[in-house]
Amino acid sequence: MLARGSRRLAGRRAGALDVLATVLVLVLLVLAAVGPWLAPHDPYRADPATALLPPGAGHLLGTDDSGRDILSRLLAGTRATLLSSVAVVVLSAAVGAAVATLAAASPRWLDEVIMRVVDMFLAFPSMVLALGVAAALGPSLTSVVVAMVIAMWPATARLVRSVMRETMAAQYVEAARLTGMSRRRAMLRHVLPNSLDSLYVQLGLDVSGAIVLIAGLAFLGVGAAPPSADWGSMVAAGREYVTTAWWVAFFPGAAITVAAVAFGLFGDALRTRLDPTVVRG
Amino acid sequence: MSAGGPLLEVRDLAVRVRESEGPRLVRDVSFEIAAGERLALVGESGSGKSTVAKALVQLDRTVEVSGSVRFDGRELVGARPGDLRRVRGSGIAMIFQDPMTALNPVRRVLDQVAEPLVIRGVPRREARRLAVAMLDRLGVADAARRAHDYPTAFSGGMRQRVVMAAALVGGPRLLVADEPTTALDVRVQEQVLDLIEEQSRELGLAVLLITHDLGIVAGLADRVAVMRSGALVETRPVDELFADPHHPYTRGLLESVPRIDAAPGQRLRTVADAVDDTRESADA
Amino acid sequence: MTRFVLRRVGLAVLTVWGVATLVFLMTKLIPGDAARVAAGRTATAEQIEAARQRLGLDRPMVEQYLHYLGGLLHGDLGWSASTKQPVAVDLQVAFPVTLQLVLVAMVFTVVVAIPLGTFAALRHGSAADAATRLVAILGGGVPVFWLALVLQWLFAVRLGWTPISGANGYGLDPPVVTGATLVDSLLAGSPQMFADSAAHLVLPALALSAPFLAVVVRNVRSTMLGVLGTDYASFAVAKGVTTWRLVVRHALPAAASSTLTILGMQLGFMLGAALLVEAVFAMPGLGTYLYTAILNQDTFAVLGGVLVTGAVFVLAGLVVDLIQMAIDPRVRSSHLAHA
Repeated sequence: MLARGSRRLAGRRAGALDVLATVLVLVLLVLAAVGPWLAPHDPYRADPATALLPPGAGHLLGTDDSGRDILSRLLAGTRATLLSSVAVVVLSAAVGAAVATLAAASPRWLDEVIMRVVDMFLAFPSMVLALGVAAALGPSLTSVVVAMVIAMWPATARLVRSVMRETMAAQYVEAARLTGMSRRRAMLRHVLPNSLDSLYVQLGLDVSGAIVLIAGLAFLGVGAAPPSADWGSMVAAGREYVTTAWWVAFFPGAAITVAAVAFGLFGDALRTRLDPTVVRG
Repeated sequence: MSAGGPLLEVRDLAVRVRESEGPRLVRDVSFEIAAGERLALVGESGSGKSTVAKALVQLDRTVEVSGSVRFDGRELVGARPGDLRRVRGSGIAMIFQDPMTALNPVRRVLDQVAEPLVIRGVPRREARRLAVAMLDRLGVADAARRAHDYPTAFSGGMRQRVVMAAALVGGPRLLVADEPTTALDVRVQEQVLDLIEEQSRELGLAVLLITHDLGIVAGLADRVAVMRSGALVETRPVDELFADPHHPYTRGLLESVPRIDAAPGQRLRTVADAVDDTRESADA
Repeated sequence: MTRFVLRRVGLAVLTVWGVATLVFLMTKLIPGDAARVAAGRTATAEQIEAARQRLGLDRPMVEQYLHYLGGLLHGDLGWSASTKQPVAVDLQVAFPVTLQLVLVAMVFTVVVAIPLGTFAALRHGSAADAATRLVAILGGGVPVFWLALVLQWLFAVRLGWTPISGANGYGLDPPVVTGATLVDSLLAGSPQMFADSAAHLVLPALALSAPFLAVVVRNVRSTMLGVLGTDYASFAVAKGVTTWRLVVRHALPAAASSTLTILGMQLGFMLGAALLVEAVFAMPGLGTYLYTAILNQDTFAVLGGVLVTGAVFVLAGLVVDLIQMAIDPRVRSSHLAHA
């Protein structure tokens, strides 16, 4: 009885979480669109007089070492954070799916070679691979996006290729082939759409992962060049003031967390709703 | 040991999924088994036979068991976990349908067979000796050496022997065999059934054989209990039941067993046919 | 069996070669004159020319590549323009620090996650499920460097329970033998140094394991649920075993192999995250090294570190596979069947 009650409660709580995640994602999207206009101060104007002010009436979240308003900088940085993460996920999904399709349509030996190369990429922890590429390209948001795509496409390629392998062997594809459908057509009509479904349900979680990874790269110094208002770089800038001005690092980090968790929960909710292979319990 | 009374006495056994108001999986099941007696519990899949088997020692934690199960005079429903554990293995042993999945793939056969002894405090060396002896007794060739292998090294029939060795090594007085031959091929099926009967005679072991196959019941069981939709329909000595089934469902079950002496081309009847017959005669 | 081991080792060697090739290709991504980058920001024209000669940049691509691979075989990971010494020498100092941090965090993760996951599986119900799902997503969403900063602020700055940063207190650095402070202080026979090294590791290890804890708990839970639902678990219960024995003797050994796979995968992510955590706590490991190198635009030092991390990750995968083969008869027999 008790367990049943808590299960019902859990069901409702999960539902409430999904709603909360959706609302947060929508709010983030709105902020990305209009954030700069909502900023109470100029996010870029340095003023030594207002340096390292604690959170208070004039500056809700305090100011950084150059005297810039942290709230305004967060609002200004929302768009770059979301745009870069979404761009990374969409681009790497596209590249991964394209390579997987190419491999699946290739003769066996070429398929084997392509997937071996994918494995080489996967031999790196994605953070480290992206770090190397971004460091080589030099600090800029573009090089971070390129580096992240290079780091993330192999996982997509692996996923799509393995789903394709399963789908190709499925009976309905075989049935379609037996009615005289060509291999290429069967791939385009049946195998590809099916494999992409497994990709879509992954997108929300991928955006969450990309937000955290991009912030991590920025924290290590490969990211948007200063003085742009990048969340990860803002945390890095606050690192030195952890003993004296905690808010400089705290709020940007909290913003990253909220954004990543929101997209993570949103993605997870989407997956449980859309993916027929996930058993809901 | 209680003098006179049956070894196992089941009264009004009912089983339902825990914390649900759904229908009971099994209801009003009553039967008894005397020491050394062999009772077959038959029915189609889904009739609740296995649920009854597991409910005797409350193996399935997701269900709630009510009614009464007395083993050797002691009540098991509502018994303390420690008392229940003592009955499991050393009082009532169980073997399962699929010997391929009943053995832990990452533990050596010897450890798995000796376990019922080890957990009762038998010294390891002695437990291992007894385990090898039991494997040998059940016809595992070269038992002393093969006992050190993992289950993957054994064939299906051999695994069922290993499973039986693990079940019997603790000296139980009742063996519950839940579809012990279903997953095996025909030739091996017979060997396993012979083995059960042989051990039952030699050890004075009572057997509850759960099966959907009336064909294997005749040679092995003393009495048969027929189960349908979670309830018992009749319980009778085996030759009586075969000669003159009372319940139409039992008749149906019997007629659906392929027979060598049937006329060529005669259609095998299904249980549904028999039940339809009764419905028609009732309508008429 | 031997054949499988050889094939698996061969695959690892091939992958390390692939990793090296990728890093070589990364050097080709450097915009402008790579020799100028390799020589450092303050280099003179002669120094740049020397770097060009050293890297063979004036020779054909294939020759450069072979030259690079040949260098690697001799342990040449490149030259750091900022520390003015071979990258290999720098990494010999830095890498053990990182490895120690990752291993301590891994041990911590395992020690906490396995009992928690097992407990959740035994008491499984949807409330617990919802909680683990939430915790897993929170764990995945919290940037590890931010968590590290928050822990640092709370436990070191506010509460003063742990040292703020670094690997050792003043005068308490153990003489360097392996580079891992815990091992070195034991070798030095100094309980005081050991305690100091451990105190400096608590917060970084805690921060590093947090995101992985949730993932591993969730995986242990689902693996254990699967194992507890098997026939052989039921059979063990029918034999009269206690819940404790069921878990310890039957379920954990059966769940070990898939848990190990998960841990092996996490190891790579942990290496990446360790770089960030180190940068926060100023631990003199690979992360701090890379951070400084990036700051100094010392690209070849960065790529040397990247290469070593990739290679270590490949080796870790190899070790996990071999351990798995040693402990799991199922894996062993399936490989025998295919060999």
